[in-house]
Amino acid sequence: MATARPGWSRRAQYSLFFSFLALIAGILVGLFLLAMSLLAPTSFESIRGAALDITGPIASGLHEVTATAEGLVTGAGDYWDAANQNGKLKREGAAMRRQILQAKAIVQENRQLKATLHLRESQHDAIAVGRLVGSSFNSPRRFAILSVGSSDGVRIGMPVRSPDGLVGRVVDAGALASRVLLVSDRANIVPARLLRGGIPVISQGRGDGMIDVHPLEVGRNPFKRGDIIITSGTGGLYPPLVPIARVVKLDDDGAVAVPLADPANTSFAIVEPSYEPAAAVEAP
Amino acid sequence: MVRAALASKRRIGQGPKSLAVFVPAATVVAASLLAALPIVDHSGWYPDFGFLVLISWRLLRSDPWPGWWAAPMGLTNDLLTGFPIGLSVALWSATMLALDLVDRRTMWRDYWIEWGLAAVLIAIDEWLQWRVAALAGARVPIEAIVPPLVISICVFPLCAWLVSRIDQWRLGR
Repeated sequence: MATARPGWSRRAQYSLFFSFLALIAGILVGLFLLAMSLLAPTSFESIRGAALDITGPIASGLHEVTATAEGLVTGAGDYWDAANQNGKLKREGAAMRRQILQAKAIVQENRQLKATLHLRESQHDAIAVGRLVGSSFNSPRRFAILSVGSSDGVRIGMPVRSPDGLVGRVVDAGALASRVLLVSDRANIVPARLLRGGIPVISQGRGDGMIDVHPLEVGRNPFKRGDIIITSGTGGLYPPLVPIARVVKLDDDGAVAVPLADPANTSFAIVEPSYEPAAAVEAP
Repeated sequence: MVRAALASKRRIGQGPKSLAVFVPAATVVAASLLAALPIVDHSGWYPDFGFLVLISWRLLRSDPWPGWWAAPMGLTNDLLTGFPIGLSVALWSATMLALDLVDRRTMWRDYWIEWGLAAVLIAIDEWLQWRVAALAGARVPIEAIVPPLVISICVFPLCAWLVSRIDQWRLGR
């Protein structure tokens, strides 16, 4: 044991003493940095972005490898029972076409109605399209690494969605990759409403991949199993009418919902401009 | 024959690898880099690999690196894994200090004591992560840290074994 008895050597005693001092200094510096990153989260933006540029591309490269391997396995699996699947898909395709025709009619009617109301529809184009290549799998927080960064136009605060629903928002942006705060993170609170009836609700992550939803008005529990939660656009961080989650379980004053965009299975994620740019500046 | 029996089994030319001094710290950084694995997971149950390797080295030897290296290694871990910056800096330095103090108190060590010590340190690590997440606005129920804690404690022996093999390799034994 080197540290237990330094002996009579004055030099050994001093070196032991200074190593203790160095450790205590390390603790103090760490606590100071921690306090800074909790109280002023923007102070380490650039260094966190630079670190993302190291881990992001590694994760992207490895993701390509695993995706290819998985594709080979599932691709081979698809050949089993192909005739049956083909028939089923044809039937589904026909049903889908009928629904699309109906939807088109509704869109047209909607456009006419809006035109009469003089509502202007603000169209948002995608800023960048990337893949979710990694996640914070060893912490209570729910972050994901997105394979596009500020060189593609991604900025902190921008909402991220997939074709299925809302994924989250960008919290760190490197040049080549960015970090997304998922809707299932405890700190991600999304103003939302029920698709059925439009009752305003609040969606907050549970930290385990699920979401807690609560009605804004205390009292009756408005949720039913299978309800779809969509964003309301209140607050300006997220665009309205993006599906978030589906209710799976009721509890006393709200419900538990499963995000519609599963980060593990999302093929690609779309970064959109902030709905109201002023809101992104204020958000932590 | 007698000479052959007396001869050392070690072959000539075996000895510490060049840069053997930096191997332990390099393995800790490599373990932190595991955060770049393309795993998208909701549970957060994976162990804090950098911390596991750090305590594995420190419990194996009293001097794997100069104590103050814990702070820069912790900063690397924070940056690579996306923890709030400073969390691992403070925790890792405090761990080195605590184990220095423990070294002065313990009369003897065996496998179970080391595993117990590691379990306590891992529990402190998980609790601190939970506490800092709560301070940052993400207060999850405290029960949520039990599964990752159990998994980390079970993974520790494997990690300690790996580290002892790397130690043998770097010293050329």
